[in-house]
Amino acid sequence: MFDLFSDAAKVAQQMEIICSEYGFALWETMYSLLLEVLFSYVIGLPLGVLLVTGEKEGIRPLPRWLMTVLNAVINLLRSVPFLILMIIALPLSKLIVGTKVGTAATIPPMVIAAFPLVARMVESSLREVNQGVVEAAQSMGASALQIVGKVLLPEALPSLISGGTITVGTILGYGAMAGIIGGGGLGKMAINYGYYNFKFLVMWAAVIGLIILVQVFQSAGTRIAVKCDKRLRNRS
Amino acid sequence: MAGIIELKGLSKTFGTGENQVSALKNVSVSVEKGDIFGIIGLSGAGKSTLVRCINLLERPDQGSVLFHGKDLTELKEKELRLQRRKISMIFQSFNLLDQRTALDNICFPMELEGVPRKKARQRAKELLETVGLPDKADAYPVQLSGGQKQRIAIARALASDPEVLLCDEATSALDPKTTGQILSLLQTINKERGITVIIITHQMSVIEQICNRVAILDSGEVAEIGDVVDVFSNPQSQAGRRLVSPNVAEPALDWDIPIARIAFNGSVSEEPVIARLVTTTGIPVSIMGAATRNVDGKAFGTMLISLPEDPGKKKEILDFLNGCQGVSAEEVTEHV
Ligand SMILES: Nc1ncnc2c1ncn2[C@@H]1O[C@H](COP(=O)(O)OP(=O)(O)O)[C@@H](O)[C@H]1O
Ligand SMILES: [Mg+2]
Repeated sequence: MFDLFSDAAKVAQQMEIICSEYGFALWETMYSLLLEVLFSYVIGLPLGVLLVTGEKEGIRPLPRWLMTVLNAVINLLRSVPFLILMIIALPLSKLIVGTKVGTAATIPPMVIAAFPLVARMVESSLREVNQGVVEAAQSMGASALQIVGKVLLPEALPSLISGGTITVGTILGYGAMAGIIGGGGLGKMAINYGYYNFKFLVMWAAVIGLIILVQVFQSAGTRIAVKCDKRLRNRS
Repeated sequence: MAGIIELKGLSKTFGTGENQVSALKNVSVSVEKGDIFGIIGLSGAGKSTLVRCINLLERPDQGSVLFHGKDLTELKEKELRLQRRKISMIFQSFNLLDQRTALDNICFPMELEGVPRKKARQRAKELLETVGLPDKADAYPVQLSGGQKQRIAIARALASDPEVLLCDEATSALDPKTTGQILSLLQTINKERGITVIIITHQMSVIEQICNRVAILDSGEVAEIGDVVDVFSNPQSQAGRRLVSPNVAEPALDWDIPIARIAFNGSVSEEPVIARLVTTTGIPVSIMGAATRNVDGKAFGTMLISLPEDPGKKKEILDFLNGCQGVSAEEVTEHV
């Protein structure tokens, strides 16, 4: 696996594969990442908000049984191993995107795996918001919706962005695994060429690409989170 | 006359079983329009619970909260929200939005009401002037001192044009000088805008400085209620006496000059009395010690002054002082 450069012919062949396929794999990784993050937040963000606002002492308490069900479902989805979850959820893709194979087909299972994580992350970010500020808003006659939109989310923004960074990193990891069940991208490239075809140079190129992506998103996310946090005196 | 805010028979219990705490027990308080009403009590007396019942941040178990005669506890949520805009609140920990500038914090209540942004910003700028921080519009809370944060919070509280301002320990996190400044700001707001102010505090000095009426809260019950001058000069309840008891100034043992002890019962302010004493009698005296409390410009407590050796002059001074309304004076003999 580590003897990469001793056979010149193999190297040339693998370089060719990298040159011709790397760009497309990267693009597939990026666009499925984008869609997965998007849909995970479309579902996870409102759920995370409900987990905070809906509890007994929250700003808009929901029925106890509903909160119990919500928490149980999220915990359940969080505890099933990702690969198993993907395989169980794959039939759903047929319903939603019309096919069980290909990159698009892996998006619904990934969203199902990721939105509970998003919900929990949003929940914990919102819980960090100073309760006194929420009370102040209530004392001014703010509605529950106004409190969510004008107090909870904006005040938690730096923390939400940090959470988003973690989500992106996790989904990138999921995406690499999705290569096993037919999802395209760098993950598939690594598994197909490396694991199944012994083209380790290609595999390493794909893996390093993923590593760089995670690094880039992580440092960009951290930087943005710090930059937009007005509680930090020396920046702004 | 019915008060602008009337609390009738409020009771509130927290917890159950062994942890049960009766924070309020049948509390009734009436606040008149234009009052600066103080609510004082020791920590845990139920002051915060009481003030939070006024805008129903806390729902009382029993009793009613009348605002202009209307019972807020019976309102639907939407109506309650509208009424809350007329009852602003400031807090010990300021509770500003950390991610917004001072100006945007002040705009916040106007945003809630749907005031157009341009108009809101204009008004926010005026309010910044009112609270004396016109140059802090773009500062974030982290860049402001405690006193400045409370000024911004006051400006924000005024933005919805309230009739009542609730202050829960609004100066307790501030140093004495800043406390004084914030209190005078509240006084100005009360005078100039006719806003009724309700002040929660555990500090006597706060009540003395600006309140006209006071309620003493003791273990969830109103121990005493009335004009500040009356309650402080002649407290009827145990809790009241404990809070007010003016310390008695004691002469030091080694003073070998004659000393007079003057007692002020609150009819006058001490400074003019001493000034008049000196100008009328032409005898200089020095103030040796004082334990007085100024309530509404009136002095309570005792003061020690030096007396001349000459018995005639001594008598002249004592006679003058005893002739003043609300003042009694006698020579102290126990220290020689
Ligand atoms: N949310 C709450 N849950 C349980 N106990 C509370 C709560 N709020 C206040 N209390 C209790 O009620 C009593 C009065 O509290 P509070 O009104 O905050 O007093 P103060 O403001 O005078 O210090 C205290 O014993 C306090 O522990
Ligand atoms: Mg309190």
